[in-house]
Amino acid sequence: MKVEDVRAFTLSNGMKFLVVEDFSIPNANMYLFFKVGSRNEHQGITGLSHFFEHMMFNGAKKYGPNLFDQTMEFNGGANNAYTTYDLTVYTNWFPVTAAEVIFDLEADRISSLSIDPGMVESERGVVLSERSTGLENSPWRELFQGVGATAFQEHPYHWPVIGYEDDMKNWTQEDLEEYFTTYYAPNNSLVVVSGAIKMEDVKKLAEKYLEPIPSQPDPPKVHITEPPQKGERRIMIERDVATPYLLIGYHTPGALHQDYYALQILNSILSSGNSSRLYSSLVDEQQKATTVFSDFNPTFDPHLFSVGAIVNQGIEYEDLEAGIYSELEKIKNEGITEKELQKIKNQKLMEFYSQVETIDGKSDNLGTYEIFFGDYKQMFKAPENYSKVTVADIQNVAKKYLTKSNRTVGVLKSKEED
Amino acid sequence: MKQNKHLLVTIVCLLVVATFALNAQNYKLPEYTSFKLDNGLTINLMEQHEVPVISVSAILPAGAIYDENKPGLASLTAASLKHGTAGYSKATLDEELDFMGASINTYASKESAGLSSKFASRDKEKVLKMIKELLVSPTFPPDEFEKEKKRLLVRLEQQKESPRGVISIYFDKFFYGDHVYANAIQGNRTSVNILNVEDIRTFFLDNYSPEAAAISVVGDFSSEEMKNILTSLFRDWKPTDKLMEDISARAPEFPRENQVLLVNKEDATETTFLIGAPGISRNNPDFVAIDVINTLFGGRFTSMLNEELRVKTGLTYGAGSNFRSLKNGGSFVISTFTATETTEQAIDKALEVLNNLHSSGLNENSLTSAKNYVKGQFPPQYETTAQLASLLSQMFWYELDSSYINDFESNVDSLDVSKAQELAGKYFPKDQLQFVLIGKALEIRPIAEKYGKVTEIEIKNDLDKSL
Repeated sequence: MKVEDVRAFTLSNGMKFLVVEDFSIPNANMYLFFKVGSRNEHQGITGLSHFFEHMMFNGAKKYGPNLFDQTMEFNGGANNAYTTYDLTVYTNWFPVTAAEVIFDLEADRISSLSIDPGMVESERGVVLSERSTGLENSPWRELFQGVGATAFQEHPYHWPVIGYEDDMKNWTQEDLEEYFTTYYAPNNSLVVVSGAIKMEDVKKLAEKYLEPIPSQPDPPKVHITEPPQKGERRIMIERDVATPYLLIGYHTPGALHQDYYALQILNSILSSGNSSRLYSSLVDEQQKATTVFSDFNPTFDPHLFSVGAIVNQGIEYEDLEAGIYSELEKIKNEGITEKELQKIKNQKLMEFYSQVETIDGKSDNLGTYEIFFGDYKQMFKAPENYSKVTVADIQNVAKKYLTKSNRTVGVLKSKEED
Repeated sequence: MKQNKHLLVTIVCLLVVATFALNAQNYKLPEYTSFKLDNGLTINLMEQHEVPVISVSAILPAGAIYDENKPGLASLTAASLKHGTAGYSKATLDEELDFMGASINTYASKESAGLSSKFASRDKEKVLKMIKELLVSPTFPPDEFEKEKKRLLVRLEQQKESPRGVISIYFDKFFYGDHVYANAIQGNRTSVNILNVEDIRTFFLDNYSPEAAAISVVGDFSSEEMKNILTSLFRDWKPTDKLMEDISARAPEFPRENQVLLVNKEDATETTFLIGAPGISRNNPDFVAIDVINTLFGGRFTSMLNEELRVKTGLTYGAGSNFRSLKNGGSFVISTFTATETTEQAIDKALEVLNNLHSSGLNENSLTSAKNYVKGQFPPQYETTAQLASLLSQMFWYELDSSYINDFESNVDSLDVSKAQELAGKYFPKDQLQFVLIGKALEIRPIAEKYGKVTEIEIKNDLDKSL
């Protein structure tokens, strides 16, 4: 895929479209990105963005309760949706014969969702089950929540996307209605369509179904900036586990910062593949951990660069923690090699191929680049942006961000006798 | 998230909109060539030039059904292939693969062992040579084996921290009894603890052999060149002397009454459960029709199960059902989870939906919807080189020909309501159900007793000692 294969247009109500024609299978998809996530919430309505993601399937003016899913599936389509700190994303996958139905369904719920009190109550049960099953099945979920809440004391990244249990039980009808009007506006969204459909047809359908939806005033800006962290923070969580879990989060900047690409490469240097720094040293050679990973994602506001690991049997978690710092110090003190850097650049190219191999990957990634980097063309420039990063840049970002006073350390382990 | 993809599963309205000038063509399997080397190895080649990558999928009869009295052996053997070969040390393999951005994974499933790989087409000679060495001449260094085994022992304990991640292991053991399909792929702590590197070597020599294996390569290459490369790499691979026997062929003996396995997890806040019964083998001639019926029963979001347990009652985040089909048999399983307090309500509801399928489940509308849905969602399953390579492996293993893909749509279309109702009655069990519940026994024990004879075990204990 080349940059010229992507066509863009914007409706008069501000709704932007990206389109990729791809006739390799007789299917298409539609990704709708709304720029609203838990970052736009405040205490009292935490989790509302995610709950809203569910309510969007529960009935509108033309297609009443349950008819969104029933109609889509009847026409051969499937859907899903997800919410992050920054975004709510709706995904439709369908045989191209169903394209017009999909536009009609989306237009109906975006223009005239009806928030039925009975549906609100049963859906509340669903999200409470989603929250509890996440915690029940993953110690990581609990640890990520703890570290997030400790690293962020003022910024809304403080609470989990799914929300606090008590807020979840108390959202009101008014909360939901206000949220819908404020954030579900065509000018606060991006639509990406890829598949066996012509650009002209997408445009016709968009004009017919989505252009009549009026634009709204811009949503309020999120003005809170997390103050700089002054000193290491530590939390302990007790839970019955075989061996302790460890998660270390360092404050790092958002997607538009100049250090973004260097931090992405540092992330891969640390944990991508068996030859990566953390895996080869801590899992393979020293056998201090059974699992190790690092994590860094594009966000609107500064978030975290994380390193996580599960302690091996017979090892103290302090020993593994020290082992992780020692690997980070090596990079800060001695840097990385040219060969390591080239390795990651090669991996990034393979990653790019995977992203454009499916119509799904095309829509998802084009949307992500358009939203976080302001321009889908950045997706095609990514290999170039990665290739500009030098070994010195990697060492510099490691020194700048991976410091003791900038970190929050979470440990999850079984209760000990007091 | 709205739904977990793996949790898949009645009223349907017909929608009237102006028809738009778009036509779907029938999805056809792309052309590929297939040939056998003199040593019996089957090779499939399919060119796909959209992206400059190649995917490989190899499949061999070396799965957990061959573990005999050493649970975990097949899985640990597959993992140990990557510990080094005659030509490459483990460190060299890891470094060179990572440097190319290439991946090679080796694993065992219930019936077979497999290797999957993806790499840039420019690196094909290099990576294919590695694949050949992994399959033909691994060295199994003892120190790497000990590390792998130690990690596995910890993981076996860790995985119980996710009830959803382990419940099927309990189910298979409970359901298949002493049939080899009961074998837990990763084994258990007791069995893994006594495995040694000689066990691995012996298992490899006995079971990794070209004559009942296939290698499928899909991607950006010329078939003629690829044929030459693979032929020269694999033609000297010697078959083992051991006669390959399909030891799963003996029919399993299924329980004759409702039974419950209650797995106590002291700190559980919800009950994770499966309700299962005998299913079908993968080559059942009604496979596609059963897939359509299961779609409307428990295979998609608006399915009968998800509709009742999630949409109408909010008892769970997701409920679904599926047929787990192997070469010589399989299971049918309903799966969901709910808060501890609503355990009974959720199980009763699931059973009610199962009964509804038999008494009044199918009508023209719901069947048409399910048919449209499976047809509409079919092509994206075979879009990437990796998906296609894996499909060719599955076709080889289950002896399916391209009609599975090419006739899929017409097979779906030919299903009508009376046939569907007949097949639902034939293949969807409603008696002799096997229940597995993972949750807080203290609170759900009296509920469990309602459904059948209860066997209670502790999640902390080793599976083989418990059952």
